[in-house]
Amino acid sequence: MIDPQRANPPVIDGVVLTPAQKKSQRERSIAIALALGVLVILFFAVTMVKGAGVLVRPM
Amino acid sequence: MSVVESHDIEFAAPRISEASVADYIALLKPRVMSLVIFTALVGLLLAPGHFHPVLAFTSILCIAVGAGASGALNMWYEDDIDAKMTRTANRPIPRGRVTKPEALTFGLVLSFFSVVTLGILVNWFAAGLLAFTIFFYVVIYTIWLKRWTAQNIVIGGAAGALPPVVAWAAAAGSLSVEPMLLFAIIFFWTPPHFWALALFRAGDYANAGVPMLPVTAGPDATRLQILLYTIVLVAVAFAPWPLGYFDAIYGVTSLALGGWMLLLAVRVYRQRTGSAALRASRNLFKFSILYLFALFAVLLLEVIVRGVIGMPA
Repeated sequence: MIDPQRANPPVIDGVVLTPAQKKSQRERSIAIALALGVLVILFFAVTMVKGAGVLVRPM
Repeated sequence: MSVVESHDIEFAAPRISEASVADYIALLKPRVMSLVIFTALVGLLLAPGHFHPVLAFTSILCIAVGAGASGALNMWYEDDIDAKMTRTANRPIPRGRVTKPEALTFGLVLSFFSVVTLGILVNWFAAGLLAFTIFFYVVIYTIWLKRWTAQNIVIGGAAGALPPVVAWAAAAGSLSVEPMLLFAIIFFWTPPHFWALALFRAGDYANAGVPMLPVTAGPDATRLQILLYTIVLVAVAFAPWPLGYFDAIYGVTSLALGGWMLLLAVRVYRQRTGSAALRASRNLFKFSILYLFALFAVLLLEVIVRGVIGMPA
C-alpha cells in the first residue's frame, strides 16, 4: 500500500525572507557590487598610469 | 515493508543574516582605520621621489582595507572577550548582528584582496609588509599575546606602528631610517596610551580575563611603566630633529607636545586614588591620541611646505 504522504509530499515553501532580511541582503549586494566596481576601476586606472610598465613587477 | 524506517526529521530553520552594511563597516574598526590611514599617508608623503597620485591612493586604500581586515579578524577571535566588556559589548558579533564565520570570511577575503592588490598594482615588498602586519596583529597579538602576557600591547604595538612603514615601502620600494623613526614613535606611544585606558577600565579587563598590566601587576606598577615609557617616547619622538631627519617645526612641536604628555604622565603617577586618579588617566588617554595626531600632522605640514616652496626632501 502506498503511503499517502509519500504519494503527495507536503509542499515546502523554501526560505521566505522577511522584509528586513530582504533589505539587508540587497544593501549587502549593492556594497559588494560597488567594492568590485572600485577594484575594476583601480586596476584600469593603474594600468593606464603605468602603461607598458604595468608588466614590471618590482620587489 | 520498508527497509528504511521512516523517522520524523526536524530541520532547524536556516539562519538568515540581517547584518547591514553598517555592521560590516563596524567590523573594520573605522576609528582605528582613520589613524592608520593618517599615519600611512604621512609615511607615504615623506618617502623620497615622485609617486603617482593613483598609486598613492591605491596604496593607502590597500593599507586601510588591510587594517580593517585585521580588525574584523580580531573581532572574530575575541567575541567572548568583547561580550564581557562594556566598551566592546556593542560590537556586531556580541550583539548577534554578524556571526563568527561571517566575520572570519569577511576578514580573510579583505586580507587577501588588500595584500594581492597592493602587490600587483604597487610592489610586492610593500604587500609582504602588509601581509606581515595583518599576521602580526591577528596571530601574534590577538591569538597569542593578548590572553597570555601583560606585555601584550607592548609587543603587539608593532602591528599598529607598521602602516607608515608599509606606505613608505609602497612609495620608495625600500626602507630607510625615517620610516623606522615613525615606527619607533608609534611603538613607544602604544604602551602609555593603552595602559592609561586600562587603568580606568581595569575592572572590565579583569572581568574578561585579559591580563592587562593593571590587572596582573596592579595600578601602581602600571603608573610607573606609563611614566617610563612616556620618557622614552618623548626622547624618541624628539630625536629625529637633532639627528637631522625632520625639520625644526617638528622638533619644537615634538618638544612642546612631549612636555605636556610627560606632565600628564607624572600626574597619573602621582594621583593614585579617587576621582583625581581616574581623571588623570582619562586625561592622559585623551591627550595621547591628540599627541600622535599632532606629531604626524606637523610632519605632513612640513612635506606640504617643502612641496610649496620647492625644497628637496
